[in-house]
Amino acid sequence: MIGRAPYLLLIAAFVAACAAEVARTPSVMQPAADGYPRLLELGSPAEVFTGTGYNRVLAAGTRWRLTGSIAQGAVYRASEGVLTLEGANIHEAYLVVRDRDLVGFFLPVEKAYSPLPQAVRLSISNP
Amino acid sequence: MPRSIRWLLAALALALLPACATGPRYAEVEKTLPKVAADKGRVWFYRSGIMFGAGIQPSVLLNGEKVGDSVPGGFFYVDRNPGSYEVLLSTEVDRKVTFTLESAQERYVRMTVGLGVIVYRVYPELVDPAEGRKEIVETSYIGGKDKK
Repeated sequence: MIGRAPYLLLIAAFVAACAAEVARTPSVMQPAADGYPRLLELGSPAEVFTGTGYNRVLAAGTRWRLTGSIAQGAVYRASEGVLTLEGANIHEAYLVVRDRDLVGFFLPVEKAYSPLPQAVRLSISNP
Repeated sequence: MPRSIRWLLAALALALLPACATGPRYAEVEKTLPKVAADKGRVWFYRSGIMFGAGIQPSVLLNGEKVGDSVPGGFFYVDRNPGSYEVLLSTEVDRKVTFTLESAQERYVRMTVGLGVIVYRVYPELVDPAEGRKEIVETSYIGGKDKK
């Protein structure tokens, strides 16, 4: 008779593999309205607590290009490089900015908005 | 030795089996690879040659279609129309990565070995192109579905 250890390990593995899925709600991106900066450049790093256990640091000097807007704010994508949001899966993500605050992410593939637990004030130094 | 321990050791031994890519190095084939067509994007897939979990070589699925295998130290690429894509490996735990692809754009998907509770597992990550270009030179061409 096989002991309970293998079953307990299997259960533990299953639980460990079940990271939280990225919380999101469907969203439609529209062309950006006038008034939003076309480009953002971060003057200092921004540490972002995503609430999924996989946090992100947006590096100083990174540039973000206006791509559109959603109800929650303006949408900016990385001019160079790539930003992902990670939970149970990994998603390409764009910034959603409102009044210089990063309020969440737009997931272009899922066409969804993922809010941050707490907005992050961005230090913006546009070129 | 308890049967459960033997079972775990067998799984560990399987995960450590050496089975690295043996194709030509990136530098050798770089010049021979066709340029991506103007109306297509290119997705590069690569995995470091680290031996941990070398025995785990899942299929690479792009939007549900098998495009290659995740082999330690290997790389391949596929060219696709612009659009939305999802990469999934046929490991014991499904963990997908999603991204968009534009015309003439190049995306790099790194397949990373992680230590699970019982065995090693492999999962995909979308990495910066600069990082991908730097890391892929350490790998060898194993060909994907678009292999010429």
